[in-house]
Amino acid sequence: MDMTLQTRRLSVASRVLAALVGGYGLAYGCTAFLSVYLPLARPDRVALAGLLCFAVWVVGALYAFGARSATRAWLVIGGLALLTGLCGFLPTELRTRP
Amino acid sequence: MSLRQSMAGLHTWGGLLPSWLLYVIIFTGTVACFDKELERWMRPALHDDSSAQLTAEGARNWVMANADKDLHAIWMRGPNEREPFWAVHWMTNAGEQGKAMLDPATGAPLAETLGGQFFFTLHYNLHADTLGMYVVGLAGMFMLVALVSGVIIHRRIFKDFFTLRPRANGQRAWLDAHNLFGVVGFPFHLLLAYTGVVVFVASYMPAGGQVAYGNDQEAYFTEVTGSYHREEVGRPAPPAVSLDGLLRDAQARWTGAQPGWIVIEHPLDASAVVAIRRADASRIGDLGGTLSYDAATGELLHVQEQPPFYRAYSWMVGLHMAQFGGTLVRALYLMLGLAGCAMVVAGTRVWLRKREARAVPGVALVRALDGAVYLGLPVASLALLWANRLLPAELPWRASGEGWTFVIAWLAVALWSALARHHWRLALRSQLVLIGLLALGLPLLSLLAAPNGHLLAALPRGDWGLVGVDLALLAIGLIALIQAWRLNPDPVARPARRAPGRLEEAL
Repeated sequence: MDMTLQTRRLSVASRVLAALVGGYGLAYGCTAFLSVYLPLARPDRVALAGLLCFAVWVVGALYAFGARSATRAWLVIGGLALLTGLCGFLPTELRTRP
Repeated sequence: MSLRQSMAGLHTWGGLLPSWLLYVIIFTGTVACFDKELERWMRPALHDDSSAQLTAEGARNWVMANADKDLHAIWMRGPNEREPFWAVHWMTNAGEQGKAMLDPATGAPLAETLGGQFFFTLHYNLHADTLGMYVVGLAGMFMLVALVSGVIIHRRIFKDFFTLRPRANGQRAWLDAHNLFGVVGFPFHLLLAYTGVVVFVASYMPAGGQVAYGNDQEAYFTEVTGSYHREEVGRPAPPAVSLDGLLRDAQARWTGAQPGWIVIEHPLDASAVVAIRRADASRIGDLGGTLSYDAATGELLHVQEQPPFYRAYSWMVGLHMAQFGGTLVRALYLMLGLAGCAMVVAGTRVWLRKREARAVPGVALVRALDGAVYLGLPVASLALLWANRLLPAELPWRASGEGWTFVIAWLAVALWSALARHHWRLALRSQLVLIGLLALGLPLLSLLAAPNGHLLAALPRGDWGLVGVDLALLAIGLIALIQAWRLNPDPVARPARRAPGRLEEAL
């Protein structure tokens, strides 16, 4: 019983972190991604990405608690954050085009 | 665990933790719907109609003569219907900031007061500058998550719209109230929480500027807002052209629209620029059109054109700020803001009522926090207004005196609530009586302390801004006293009408 209680506590703590830190990371990655790949002029790409980023964070935070397990939540949220962030920051020529 | 159960847990705990902070933010935001009316209420020198003598030129000269010599920028706003005075702010190259409110009739600074601005600042940064701004933003995210998870766990959103059983047992009644205010206010709360976090998106989410502008802040702001910036050249500024002439030119170019804030960038440098922003209360968002002039020659350098999605941003910020649509819109925002406060209060009461009987740890803490914040903040706000009326206008420390009154009153109520947590009904009743007396007393105090601003003087003049503040205070006072009178100090526990369902168990 003690063991399961402790596992549950760890799982909740992990989900809380996934929602706060992971969720922000996902919002950050998506903002970077959209700021580069939206088919708009640079100021509009950045402005629209900024307007959407909080919705991404909310969805990420909800998923952190809705996911089947804390590990799964971290894998999906962290993976997407990393993927979108890399796609945003790596193409140096493309990302600063006007 | 099903999705609804996990969302219920998230809603309960993710909602409870920021409750008191959210209440502070929503309450002060609600008060700030009428911050400008309150500002004038707190400045008796502006209570009678006086003709504006001070020109933009005069206001600039006042700053040049009275501020530090090392000026980096000046922001000025002329008198308008709701704010009949000149507001001037400045910043030095060292980053020090100053401000003054100038009497339009005499050109002299108005008496010190925190003003209605106090509530607005508390709303967006808790008077804690950058750190406070981030804390408020995080609270906004918690609110968004609580709102969305609240909808997911809601089985009967339409039915709950019409359900309020105040005579049911405590938990059921508070849950009904939480649902009612939550559902009625939902679109508004969602919109205001989202547009609220959007206001400071440039600080909260720097990814766009970092990725697309290589972290060049200047280029990022200039291009995204479509505005103009000129670097300093390090030569002293030649004599400046008349500001009033520039204002006339701006109004002619906007075909009559009124100027809002005037920004003078590095006024002591030869590169000085005067940017005149447009004020248009008939539109939700700022339409742009800021005109930038060379401060020395008066030559028009640039007309701001907002990129389309920056205009969308301006529109969302405008929706949040409620400076459009006049008193009707602000009154609606006020009512929905109060619904938000009620939703938060009822939410913690549901949590409490569910756990009171089981002596769960934390019940006493939550109850003490409820009293300390939900009643402490209104008491402190009213105490601040009392200090405003009681401290003489000439007092150089009047503003800080008001601030200390606010802090001490709040701490006193917090301490009271903590000590009386086992007799909390009695404490609640006494605190409601205190709110009632403080609120009812203010219009009476104004009879003595605000000779041109009290009800009997403002009503015949048709000065609805001042009348409105006093009538609101009277209404608050009466409601608080009626509630205190109705509050049963020794309730007999009523049996629950039905067994709680599984979802309620999870809440």
